[in-house]
Amino acid sequence: MTAPFAGKRVLDLSGFAPQRPHALAIAMAGKLAAQFGATVIRPLPPGGDSLAALPPLLPDGSSALARFLLAGRTGGDTGGAFDAAIGDAAAVMAADAALRVRISVFGPGEDPPMSELGLLALSGILAAVHPEGEAPHRLGGHQAAYAAGLAGFTAMAAGLRAGMRDIADISLFDTACWLNWKAAATVVLLGAAAAAKDKEGRGGWHTMRAKDGHVALVYMAKDWPPLRDLIGDPSLAEPRFATQRARGENMAALNAVMAPWFAARTRAEITAAAQAKRIPIGPVLSPRELLADRQHAARGFIGPEGTPRLPIRIDGAAPQWMETGHAA
Amino acid sequence: MPHEVPRSPEGPGGAEPRHADASRRGGPLAGIRVVDLGWLTAGAASSALLLDLGADVVKVEGPGALDPFRDWSGADAASDWWNRSPFYNFTNRGKRSLCLDLKDPRGLAALMRVLEGADVLVENYRRGVLASFGLAPEMLRKRFPRLIIASISSQGEDGPERDMVSFGSTLEATGGLAALTGPAEGDPQITGRNINYPDQVVCLFATGAIVAALAQRDATGQGGHIDLSQRELTSFLLGEELIAAAAGVPTPRQGNADPAAPGEAVLPDGEGWRAVWDGGEAPVRDGAALAASPEFAAGTAILRAPDGQPAKGTPFRFGTWPAGIARGPSGLGEDNRAVLAEAGLTPEEIAVLEAAGVVATKPRRAPAQ
Repeated sequence: MTAPFAGKRVLDLSGFAPQRPHALAIAMAGKLAAQFGATVIRPLPPGGDSLAALPPLLPDGSSALARFLLAGRTGGDTGGAFDAAIGDAAAVMAADAALRVRISVFGPGEDPPMSELGLLALSGILAAVHPEGEAPHRLGGHQAAYAAGLAGFTAMAAGLRAGMRDIADISLFDTACWLNWKAAATVVLLGAAAAAKDKEGRGGWHTMRAKDGHVALVYMAKDWPPLRDLIGDPSLAEPRFATQRARGENMAALNAVMAPWFAARTRAEITAAAQAKRIPIGPVLSPRELLADRQHAARGFIGPEGTPRLPIRIDGAAPQWMETGHAA
Repeated sequence: MPHEVPRSPEGPGGAEPRHADASRRGGPLAGIRVVDLGWLTAGAASSALLLDLGADVVKVEGPGALDPFRDWSGADAASDWWNRSPFYNFTNRGKRSLCLDLKDPRGLAALMRVLEGADVLVENYRRGVLASFGLAPEMLRKRFPRLIIASISSQGEDGPERDMVSFGSTLEATGGLAALTGPAEGDPQITGRNINYPDQVVCLFATGAIVAALAQRDATGQGGHIDLSQRELTSFLLGEELIAAAAGVPTPRQGNADPAAPGEAVLPDGEGWRAVWDGGEAPVRDGAALAASPEFAAGTAILRAPDGQPAKGTPFRFGTWPAGIARGPSGLGEDNRAVLAEAGLTPEEIAVLEAAGVVATKPRRAPAQ
């Protein structure tokens, strides 16, 4: 099967981005371009590769991140024109490429020093993960950078397909805000007071401790009656738990009532019982557990050495080009 | 591939859309026609991104099968509540609307006519629902070999947990993100209802995968059925952690610490919280602070429709195709006649469907509360 971008030459300038969010986003876009069949060249500066030493580190001292993110590239020939280049403003604007995908913090020319933690804070994503009595917490992994990488790849794909000679701009901040659109949209559309009320009325999704770990307690108003009946504690029928808003206002008390039921059961038992009633509760699985996850295994998602395949299948199978590989 | 000449968005027999910015024609996907069976965010916002790249998107709902985003608890049941949901309108700006009863054979036949001219079908129904409408992907692939069918689902098209009921935050748990999010010594965390992170991030990837499939079709003439599992994408975005775990390296939850950036922390600042790192700091914003910030106002995450209404923005902009919105949301079924006429139905045929209620402009039910 011919890969979508077979024959396209893409320049990945992640090695020349001094800011880590930019470098990670660029590298993710380059990875996807390679996995969709482009020949991706990733030159390195004389000082070496800033991504090559990022954690987590493997027993041999090499970087698992580099193995995941940088596979399928070559240092190869950077001469001649490229169909596309992706990099930060300084690097990409010097590249000889028809399409230049430019990664910045706030937009063209607005590149103050920034971290992924800063992007999560400024975009409101950090505030969404705020456990009671704790500081707000970052999302695991490199979500702020990788999401911008997905956006960068999508813009690149559209430009490559159309044969565009253009500049595509991806803002790390705008991408994070786009992901967190509902927080701002609630304020913009309904007003700050309504937004605060909306927050109170959401009833609270969070994790609960099980006998062998945690599960995610996720439910809508329609799921409350079966959830209440599943747990079976008579106090759950009290008016203070009757509506999503009431449950949100009395969340600590609600959790205290529910906690023993969850703590007495394994994740598998809880998930099976909830799913039987079509309540969207699921187990919190660690990366190690995901390696043996039956759904991932059945779909062939985890490859050798834990490397995940591209998360799509086409016409029922992983596309053949992924097996043969068009990436240099 | 050169740009194709964009088709008229209103098509033969159609009226100029209300509040349309007629100058906004073009974009890298100009000429691509998308049939959007997407609901809520994962499907509908993926289609919106295709629209942002220049595609023409027709959102298809049924009088008995509305996008659940149309239900809004603040709506007056005596009004046309289905056209007034702020979040629905916010997400589905710029799309045309076709309201067709797919459970009626005549409605299904009309959709088949629409699909004859389509390049992409996006859907994120519960697995099995598309087939129950008589739209099984295998059949669609045979009948429309050039069509790209993008199925965005929680678990994927198959596997022992295909039918596991999940929202986005469930997938944060089952995909590995929750285990790595939250206090190192405390409980794992999920983003919750306001973000449902996998539902958001999948749109960025699904759009790219669809564009890639279109590029492949340009070369081969063949469409394809894209099976995209949000759970897999969630795990994919933690790829380095999977590789580390496979090598026997512990992958603990680390709170706000970053081994590669020891100076990073989230600290109280008297009024709230601040993120600090070597070389900078930033306030931890809530929705109100975000909406009030100058960077947000200058950015593209929220844009304005031509009538001035706030609308969902876009994460990318091109020099020749700036971020923008050509028109606000269509009312339910507002584009029925135009879309069906483009598909080749005569005015008489459309009138028959309207009279039978197969084509509609209002739902058959009251708003959910």
